[in-house]
Amino acid sequence: MRVLGRRLSLYVVTAWVAITVNFLLPHLMPGNPVQNLIGKVTGQITPQQVRSIELLFGVGLHQGLWSQYVGYWHQLFLGNLGVSITLSTPVSSVLASAVPWTVGLIGVSTILSFILGTFAGALLGWFRGSRLDSVIPVATFFQAAPYFFLGTVVLLLFGSDLHWFPVLGAYSQSVTPGWHWDFVFSLLRYGELPVITIVLSSVAGWMLGMRNMMITMIAEDFVLMAVAKGLPRRKVIAHAARNAVLPSVANLSLAIGLVVSGALLVELVFNYPGVGNLLLQAVLNEDYPLIQGIFLVITMTVLAANLLADVLYFILDPRTRTEAAV
Amino acid sequence: MSSVRLPRSPKVLVGVGIVAFFAILTVIGPWLAPDNPSATNFLPNLGPSGSHWLGTTALGQDIFSQLLDGARATMIVAIVAGVVATVLSVIVGVAAGYLGGKTDDGLSLLSNVFLAIPGLPLLIVIDSYLPASGRSNSFAIGLIISLTGWAWGARVLRAQTMSLRNRDFVEAARIIGESRRRIMLFEIAPNLLPVLASSFLFTTLYSIGAYVTLAYVGLTSTAVWNWGTMMYWAQANNAPLAGQWYWFVPPGICIALIGTGLALLNFGIDEFINPRLRAAGLSGKVRRASGLPRRPRLGYTPVARRSPGRVVVTPARPTPSSTNVGA
Amino acid sequence: MDSATTNLTVDELNDTVLEIEDFCVDYGWGETAVRAVNNVNLSVRRSRVLGVAGESGSGKSTLVYAVTRLLRSPGVISGGSARLTYDDPTASDVKRRTVDLMAASGSELRAIRWSQVSIVLQSALNALNPVLRIGHEFDELLKTHRKDLKKEQRHARAVELLGLVGLNEDRLSRFPHELSGGQRQRIMIALALALDPQLVIMDEPTTALDVVTQREIVNELAQLRARFGFSMIFITHDLSLLVELADDIAVMYSGNVVEWAPAGDLYSAPRHPYTLGLLNSSPPLSGERHELVGIAGAPPDLSQPLSGCSFHNRCPFVLERCSRDVPPLRILDSSGRKAACWLHDDPTTVPVALRRVALATSPGEPAPGAPMTLAREEIR
Repeated sequence: MRVLGRRLSLYVVTAWVAITVNFLLPHLMPGNPVQNLIGKVTGQITPQQVRSIELLFGVGLHQGLWSQYVGYWHQLFLGNLGVSITLSTPVSSVLASAVPWTVGLIGVSTILSFILGTFAGALLGWFRGSRLDSVIPVATFFQAAPYFFLGTVVLLLFGSDLHWFPVLGAYSQSVTPGWHWDFVFSLLRYGELPVITIVLSSVAGWMLGMRNMMITMIAEDFVLMAVAKGLPRRKVIAHAARNAVLPSVANLSLAIGLVVSGALLVELVFNYPGVGNLLLQAVLNEDYPLIQGIFLVITMTVLAANLLADVLYFILDPRTRTEAAV
Repeated sequence: MSSVRLPRSPKVLVGVGIVAFFAILTVIGPWLAPDNPSATNFLPNLGPSGSHWLGTTALGQDIFSQLLDGARATMIVAIVAGVVATVLSVIVGVAAGYLGGKTDDGLSLLSNVFLAIPGLPLLIVIDSYLPASGRSNSFAIGLIISLTGWAWGARVLRAQTMSLRNRDFVEAARIIGESRRRIMLFEIAPNLLPVLASSFLFTTLYSIGAYVTLAYVGLTSTAVWNWGTMMYWAQANNAPLAGQWYWFVPPGICIALIGTGLALLNFGIDEFINPRLRAAGLSGKVRRASGLPRRPRLGYTPVARRSPGRVVVTPARPTPSSTNVGA
Repeated sequence: MDSATTNLTVDELNDTVLEIEDFCVDYGWGETAVRAVNNVNLSVRRSRVLGVAGESGSGKSTLVYAVTRLLRSPGVISGGSARLTYDDPTASDVKRRTVDLMAASGSELRAIRWSQVSIVLQSALNALNPVLRIGHEFDELLKTHRKDLKKEQRHARAVELLGLVGLNEDRLSRFPHELSGGQRQRIMIALALALDPQLVIMDEPTTALDVVTQREIVNELAQLRARFGFSMIFITHDLSLLVELADDIAVMYSGNVVEWAPAGDLYSAPRHPYTLGLLNSSPPLSGERHELVGIAGAPPDLSQPLSGCSFHNRCPFVLERCSRDVPPLRILDSSGRKAACWLHDDPTTVPVALRRVALATSPGEPAPGAPMTLAREEIR
């Protein structure tokens, strides 16, 4: 438990850093872009909305930096993330509708990619030196290609040219969202290509990491013992893989940030209604309250995912548990 | 550190080849470009032809020239970011690993925080506040990217330093009374080289991705030609959907290729660091002659058909003891 | 430990479990190959213990791993044969079966592994899967080889096996890292006996343990062996340990068997200078303490084999021909003991230390004259 406690405190510190950076950024930049922005959009949003932005960013309040910082925290606790200038809607409600899409898309893709990569890596490691090795450079190529590039190519090839998959959006315009079969089916169909893109881009990392760990594990005595015990090959591989997967799980929390970064761009390519798409729209429109709100939400979500990954590691490796008991 | 020799596997050779090719392109690419990449001298939307190998943009610019010219900007940012991030990660990682204690706690926390914050969103946020002059400055962009990219290397270097710290030769230097800085610089740093190289390659790879993504999103100056900007313009003009693959695809392929090259090189370094990863195979001829399997299989030690026929003929050597001992 | 090594009938002598003939193992192949085991002939008799002794790098472990086909790459078996004879439990009547281990297919090997030949490694911590509970190791093993057993029966068998090595059944729910070194090694022994194998190979099973635990485990092993009658190959660098447990001892040096003798004979009256050196470098089991003397010189470098006898550069009694001719392993006297040493060619060249008379003792009780030191003049 001590390990988990330490991780948790790391994430608390990280969250604090992210929030503080978020607060400081507008203040560090020359000419205070938020102030300019408010000047530009006056009239488009209500005076209360202007007020909420001012409270959050501390502009026009003539306060010291510290009291602005305290005020910022106060607004955060009230759930005020400011108002999106382009959408004239509170950032928190904009985010509430976008976050589930992103969590769903990236969550599903990451889990799929991890499982696929781990299995493939275990086999690649065990059958090292066989023809399977030729998968490695191909997978590396997919990993090295930018997510948005791969996404566009996949979209053109399989969506536009071959019409194998529906494209653009998260579900068909002809179904109404709700918990019924038509909608869920449409959701899954529209999710296929984005998921394929993210999996293609990220699977090589898991695969190669697992392969290397597998090769390292095969040199361990307990794997030789599994052979000496006359276990069938499948079980011997399982013995090695069960241990080789631990570093991958430990790295899961580190990698989530990287995967999320890339996957946000995939939303743009497929016009998926998640926060990635939203973020890039906000950037184009210089909608600073929205940009900063999105950054905060992404960071918090990633931290939560990290914590989940840490718990998973804790469950999988009995040694961490004993360390805690002692 | 007697010899740093990468294993000569085909993977590594291909990696070296690709990276060398793009390194040369970085230097001479802009000179090779047949036309000014920004000049709108030609008919718009031409397909690939003898005079325009990759056709022209919607504004009538030569795409091939943009591709050649863009190599430099892309690579410079990546290298600036890679170098700065590596320097940062060495300072933080080696100091944390070597000094230990409170310093280690603080520095580890710092790098873990930077690891946990998703890099690209942070980049986008910072970049969105940059004035136009900053966005067109390759060095500024490189520096910002390096800020989000150093933590991984620091973590790996810290672990390696910690394991080196307790080895005999470092212990010996400490007992002799060498200064800490000297020990870090001359005893530990050289032994970190492979890990360092690996972390540099990784960071460069990350930086290319980050820079190109920023450019594609439109967060760098669209007047600086790099591969990301090219894709930004292609996308903005709907080139992918319009079937102008020659506008959108070549820069993407270049990025993927150089990334593959860096990753392949990294495999070589991995195999250097961890000898278990090296393929332990026999050459084809020897293998066939002896009837040995291609791949060693755990738990089925191969039985050779006939002995290798190696006859040891060593001349009798008088040993020191044999002269003294009489019967 | 009531087995006397003498008075064996011909049948008993020929009743071998494992027969190793002209066995050669190389590391690598072709020009760069290194010979690790060279023309070894050994046999393990039914219900007896063969001790294999030697320094690290002598090839003792390489030999047994290669014989069981478990040797890792780049190990290659470059010659010879190894045959395992066992009672086939699947046959309707008890039937002896002999398998050529070098020609056996994957499935044949799998069937024999653990059910007929089991192995205990030096470090049980590394040999047990760190993320599996002890109970899982037993269950998986029994599930694979004893398909007729139900879940409860497998559990009962695991509890019974733990009882044999003096452990409580609550250990089944533990992970390896939660147990002490002695407990882990006991669990390995219990696992090794799980399927009533004909042959148990012990590769330095006690080296990683403290002296007290070492002693307890050796005693337990002796009792278990007397009770179940399995054959054993016991590998160690500690000759005094072997004498308590083994019926026969083979001493290996640089890939060759340099001496073979009944345990008591070898201990009380070594015939090879290397055996003498090994004895002098380990503390005696009982009797007065003597000065421990290491063997001069470095262990052999297999990649640069010496001409002649591989021990000649470290031998205190070296003769001129030793650096020239390779001494064959030859029978020395009517007891059948063998040594590969030129000193015994001519009775006048045998040093006093290699001329002792073997004391008629059973292997469990070392001869009183065991401590030996080289006379100074002999060393010179």
